[in-house]
Amino acid sequence: MKIIFILLLIAGMSSCSKLVEVNPPSTSLTGSNVYSSDATAIAVVTGIYAQLGNQGDIASGLKSISLFCGLSADELTLYSGVTSFSYIDYYRNSLSVALSTGSDVWAGAYPLIYLCNSVISGVGASNNLTPAVKTELLGEALFLRAFFYFYLTNLYGDVPLVLSTNYKQNAQMSRTPQAQVYQQIITDLTNAQNLLSSNYLDGTLLATSPERLRPNKWAATALLARVYLYMQKWSDAESQADLIINDSSMFRLSKIDMAFLRAGLGNSEAIWQLQSAVSAVVTNTFDAFIFVIPSSGLNSVSHPVYLSQGLVQSFDTADLRRTHWVDSVVVKGIVYYFPYKYKVSAIKTPVSEYSMVMRLGEIYLIRAEARAQQGNIAGAQADLDAIRARAGVSNTNVNDQISLLAVIAHERRLELFTEWGHRWLDLKRTQAVDSIMSVATPNKGGTWNPDWELFPLPLTDLQSDNKLTQNPGYN
Amino acid sequence: MEISNLGKGLPCATWKLLPQQVRRAMRLTAILLTVVCVNVSAHSYEQQTVSFSGKNVSLIKVFSSIERQTGISFFFNYAIVEKTKPVTLDLRNVEMDELLGIVLRGQGLSYYKSGKTIFIVKDGDQQKYSVQNDATGVSKDKINVKGKVVNEEGSPLIGASITVKDGNKSVLTDEKGSFEIKNIPANSIIIISFVGYQKQIVNVDEVGKAVIVLKQATNILDQAQVIAYGYTTQRLSTSNISSIRSADIERQPVDNPLLAMEGRVPGVFIAQANGLPGSGVTIRVQGQNSINNGNDPLYVIDGVPYTSQMLATTSGGPLGNSGGQPLNNATPGGNPLSYINPADIERIDVLKDADATAIYGSRAANGAILITTKTGKAGNAKTDINVYQGIGQVSHKLHLLNTQQYLQMRHEALANDGLTPAPTDYDVNGFWDTTRNTDWQKALLGGTAQFTNANASVSGGNSSTQYLVGGMFRYATTVFPGSFNDKKGGLHFSINTHSNDGKFHLQLSGNYMVDDNHLPQIDLTNSALQLAPDAPPLYNKDGTINWMTNPAGTSTWFNPISNLYNLYSSNTDNLISNAKLGYKLIKGLEIKANLGYTNLQTNETSQSPDYAKPPELRSSTPLTAVFSNSNINSWIAEPQLDYINVFGKSKLGALIGSTIEQQTSNGQKITGTGYPADQLLGSLASATTVIVNSTIAAVYKYNALFGRLNYNFDDKYLIDLTGRRDGSSRFGPKNQFHDFEAIGIAWIFTNEGFIKKNSSFMSFGKIRGSYGTTGNDQIGDYRYLDVYTPLSQATPYQNTSALTYLNLPNPYLEWEESRKLQFGLDLAFLHDRIIFNGTYAINRSSNQLLPYNLPIITGYYNVTENFPATVENRSLELALTSTNIRASKFNWTTTVNATIPRNKLVAFPNLANSSYSYSYVIGEPINVVQAFHYMGVNAQTGVYQFSDQHGNITTSLNLLTDRTKRINILPTIYGGLENRVTYGDFDLNFLFQFVKQINSNLRFGNVNVPGFFSDGNGNQPTSVLGSWHQPGDNAKIMRFNSNGSLASSFGYVTSSDAAFSDASFIRLKNVSLSWKTPDNLIRRIHMAYIRFYVEGQNLITITKYTGLDPETLSLNALPTLSVFTGGVQLGF
Repeated sequence: MKIIFILLLIAGMSSCSKLVEVNPPSTSLTGSNVYSSDATAIAVVTGIYAQLGNQGDIASGLKSISLFCGLSADELTLYSGVTSFSYIDYYRNSLSVALSTGSDVWAGAYPLIYLCNSVISGVGASNNLTPAVKTELLGEALFLRAFFYFYLTNLYGDVPLVLSTNYKQNAQMSRTPQAQVYQQIITDLTNAQNLLSSNYLDGTLLATSPERLRPNKWAATALLARVYLYMQKWSDAESQADLIINDSSMFRLSKIDMAFLRAGLGNSEAIWQLQSAVSAVVTNTFDAFIFVIPSSGLNSVSHPVYLSQGLVQSFDTADLRRTHWVDSVVVKGIVYYFPYKYKVSAIKTPVSEYSMVMRLGEIYLIRAEARAQQGNIAGAQADLDAIRARAGVSNTNVNDQISLLAVIAHERRLELFTEWGHRWLDLKRTQAVDSIMSVATPNKGGTWNPDWELFPLPLTDLQSDNKLTQNPGYN
Repeated sequence: MEISNLGKGLPCATWKLLPQQVRRAMRLTAILLTVVCVNVSAHSYEQQTVSFSGKNVSLIKVFSSIERQTGISFFFNYAIVEKTKPVTLDLRNVEMDELLGIVLRGQGLSYYKSGKTIFIVKDGDQQKYSVQNDATGVSKDKINVKGKVVNEEGSPLIGASITVKDGNKSVLTDEKGSFEIKNIPANSIIIISFVGYQKQIVNVDEVGKAVIVLKQATNILDQAQVIAYGYTTQRLSTSNISSIRSADIERQPVDNPLLAMEGRVPGVFIAQANGLPGSGVTIRVQGQNSINNGNDPLYVIDGVPYTSQMLATTSGGPLGNSGGQPLNNATPGGNPLSYINPADIERIDVLKDADATAIYGSRAANGAILITTKTGKAGNAKTDINVYQGIGQVSHKLHLLNTQQYLQMRHEALANDGLTPAPTDYDVNGFWDTTRNTDWQKALLGGTAQFTNANASVSGGNSSTQYLVGGMFRYATTVFPGSFNDKKGGLHFSINTHSNDGKFHLQLSGNYMVDDNHLPQIDLTNSALQLAPDAPPLYNKDGTINWMTNPAGTSTWFNPISNLYNLYSSNTDNLISNAKLGYKLIKGLEIKANLGYTNLQTNETSQSPDYAKPPELRSSTPLTAVFSNSNINSWIAEPQLDYINVFGKSKLGALIGSTIEQQTSNGQKITGTGYPADQLLGSLASATTVIVNSTIAAVYKYNALFGRLNYNFDDKYLIDLTGRRDGSSRFGPKNQFHDFEAIGIAWIFTNEGFIKKNSSFMSFGKIRGSYGTTGNDQIGDYRYLDVYTPLSQATPYQNTSALTYLNLPNPYLEWEESRKLQFGLDLAFLHDRIIFNGTYAINRSSNQLLPYNLPIITGYYNVTENFPATVENRSLELALTSTNIRASKFNWTTTVNATIPRNKLVAFPNLANSSYSYSYVIGEPINVVQAFHYMGVNAQTGVYQFSDQHGNITTSLNLLTDRTKRINILPTIYGGLENRVTYGDFDLNFLFQFVKQINSNLRFGNVNVPGFFSDGNGNQPTSVLGSWHQPGDNAKIMRFNSNGSLASSFGYVTSSDAAFSDASFIRLKNVSLSWKTPDNLIRRIHMAYIRFYVEGQNLITITKYTGLDPETLSLNALPTLSVFTGGVQLGF
């Protein structure tokens, strides 16, 4: 009896690695197996879209590129009751490192870039995926990485070009010159064009979908057209735009009231849309949710902005965009105009709108500008008039290149307002930002300084990575 | 009054005082002897009267009571006396002869007196013994001595050591408490000792079958201290251990036992997160070892490890955190020790050095806190009922601006900015009634919290089985308006039993508590300090929430009272159970097992009804309720082999054991939205959309092999060796196992003959030292894995699932290691009336496991990593206990302790190129605040100016390089001073806690720039009144600013050296006064005792700190309350 006890004891005492082996948590997958099946590999990329479409992410709603850039430029006016510096500082062009304002897009984009890099290496190395799924996922991840870097470099200038998941290496990166970032964007997009399907696919990546919720070859082409335009590679921009505009079976300008519907309802203007998925608040789009001002008026939490007087007054009275894409509410005798591209703001209503990321309207304007820059006045006019016609505005009668470019710039402001920061980025790339903002900023209660065209890097990153340097003008 | 009775009560002295005939009497073969060493009275016994009362008590108890009262010793044959019938007595002040006559009547026993000794013998044997006594005479022959050692309740003491003085023989008692020493000289003196009991010295002239009754030690040096897998005493320990006992805990009306330790334990710093019931409590043993997580000690309750943090799925609502690690940016709230009834606790022992903790290996880098619950004692069933009731209030208010001062500030701020009141400046634009002046601290925090606490227990048993069953109930409300409350109910039981042959031993214990906590979701303190004094009334005339809406129907302020309708409730069930089994294989060798199970289940709900929302948000924000649950259960099995033996003057103990442990954590946080009505928020079924926010399903496994060897030579030289090999599932497969070891040595120099002879003043002196390694695996589970977790989607994207990553993986994770070196000196003077303990500790932690900060460009803010830094904590711990007065009716004891901690970063290879190049400085404390240097207000512009890194004066700073000043916000000295005075039946105890520290002051304003108004908030402390008004002003506060354009400047100044100042405090932490009814009074109503008491907590605070409470150091947290209670304790 005693001996058995002792033997049992000794057996129990032997430290054994089996006793400390645990299975991975039942609630999650691990990096080693997440890319070993189609469904889970797709789910990682779908996760990027789902996060993007969420309230509070950079794509829509209260922390979106559209809102922040709209405030920084001359599109949006901040409600006087708003006391949150994360809005006030964008609005007054007085972003502050001390108050940690201005870093939202930086902090929002890099975690998604990590996922893209994880997919690119994980999917690339996996041998268990259906080949079609594998190429598609690689294409989507490359496209997304290019998409995020496009915004990062345009908002922050030179940004660290992180292309791997090796945090040890990445933690000590310095800023990469913008030209090199652009070069990577072009490489990624060109590869994505080759890898991606020309059809719009569903969540299995093996069947087509009436919706346009996953970027495909056309999305890569559209972004490439835009990137070439920003790089002033006019003919490249034009030829990429051609590819899209020429495929009229896929893409046509929609009627004014249909341009922001979901593709499945016949909106063939969409190139890439996002579905609102994650949030507990079930809405059509978060843009409608925050921009459409209720009859009770603005408030500092959920409806902090309205359209600037300057933008509203820029429209011709006959412009359908003024009457269909802008609405107003009267509170205490004061009229507040707000963006009304997305119309369904009530929660729990059937979904008819998806958040538009890229659409054909922009591609026409890209080609118009690219053509005008190359001296193709007639071609530019035709593209411009396609947009004007949809807005019920008469054809342009401007013939000289410089005036035509000015008209195109103006048309971009009217067509693309409060969409993905177009106005802010256009002002910067056309060097108009100082002349416009030195007038606009004082009206917003701030003072303009050319340094303010770049947002500041977050202090926490400067502290953690001492190879990073702050943008000029910021302490 | 007798001031002192020094020199009495010493065993040796007592022995020598015994007259010759008594010593002779001890030769009698059949007599069992009891030597009692109490204060011998100067009176002869004939003149003495004695008292005794009790139902069905054993004669042994009666005798020991008489011994206590008179100082007379009893000698008797245990075997005979054990068989006598119990007696029931109620006698007061009778002659001893009368009492003895009553108790011996009909028992077949007689007694006779000899000097100061009473011999109990069988009827008619008196003559026989005296004869034999004479006949044997004084023998010089060698003899054999047999005997038995029992405690006062008659239970055998197993493993007590019997040492022959001046010889080399020693033995241990067996499982029946018996011993035999062969072949020793008659006239030998034997010393009987056992951990936690008073040592006895007995002269053995001849063979005797003696029962030696050892009394529990009352001297602090000799009381049992609980250590890992065993017991020791302060006298014989080689480690650094501090203890508090049930008496200390019971004097304090606290709901978390950790709070009873505040100010009482050297080397341990404790702070409460806020004044709400069930609040978080942060505890640091010998400083902060880890830079930013994993600083919790290991909690062990009756041998079962207990969680130190709640699960991250429980938000804890307003409870505040316990200094825990943020897991995926979620810090759990509340404290798991809140779910243990302080009244069930017998003692808490804090193990601090490597010698004491290395046997816990990987988990005790931050010390170990051993909690031992109460067990029953042999005797008749005793019932104890204890009920108290009390009140609590916020005792300190901030000086804030009144309406007149406030409006002046706001108007000046607008004028400074060239603005006129905007339509949204409701406080000054005439929309609000500017004649109102509300003291929001009074309105929101001015209530009185009520406490009701009841404990009842029954205990008893016989010498082989003892039991205790207890129950508790506690009800506490808050100082907030509304009927928020916390209700707790609990059960505790303990059963101890051993087999008749004494070989098998079993102890079972269980603690169960149910807590039902109803609080508002948000602490109202922040609002109380910031609301504009002219803000509207909280309620409309009809009793509804007053939103003071503007004509468009939009609220003009955020009414804090709405928080009271955002209900938070937390229901917790906590079970801790354990079993200890032991079987004596052969003499000195025991096989033991410790088995335990704990289960901590918490369900939380937070409801956000429309009623609590500003009207304009009701249409756009859906009705939401958050439900979360968490469950942590663990089991442990620890088989052990324990060996103890004595060889001459040497005593050897050896322990070898193994731990197999598993902890399973499961948690979920679920949000339901789209409810049709406020009334349905309690049911998830009514939600139209349900989202799972987070789920936790983690398994933690732990396995270890440990051993300990201790050796004691002649109670002079002590050495203790421990080792442990640990494996934890929290590490990658390559680094799962690690070894830890420690050595402790001590020299009791006062036991050296040459010192003993020359030192009558010093009664005890010990030098000790220890060195060893311990570890830390307090990181989240699965951190070495690259984990992808499902995104919860209300409307799945393209109707498919989505995944995202949880954290950056680090497959190379290794154990963290702390090296601890400690030296100690323990001294006692004047026969142990003054006891001093001093310890100097140097702890170095390296390879620290923590979330290593990363730039977000890497994809995440941090990665769990072995940190290259070495952090050193030095602490000097001093404790002094002095019995100032010890007299029959009047006693006064003083205890003082102080700790001087020093923390610094000693090494950080390649710091300049790490994420911490701007945060840490080698040679400075790890949480040093790097501050700007304040240079006053620019007389021309009215804006703060600072000195930059080059010494130039500037108003715009480089946030990375201009932080030239370093401020240490860790406490630099802390401790407590306790006095206990008893006079007759009165008992007064008071404890002062003191902390010397620096922390942020409110000199420059509250949360926002003075002059800024937002959502109804904008008030400021009166310190801002000295602001700059016009060019040329030499002010300390910058100009008021309404639009936030000076927000950065305000941010700089609150991070400047001038924003930190002395936050030291001395606090009357605890006062208790009790009165016990005199025995004669109580006996008439057949009760054991009635005790009335009043207690107070945090009654007086002396501080220069400008915030609300120097303990919470927060502007958002309800201060710790001043509590005053009164109660009664009844014993039957």
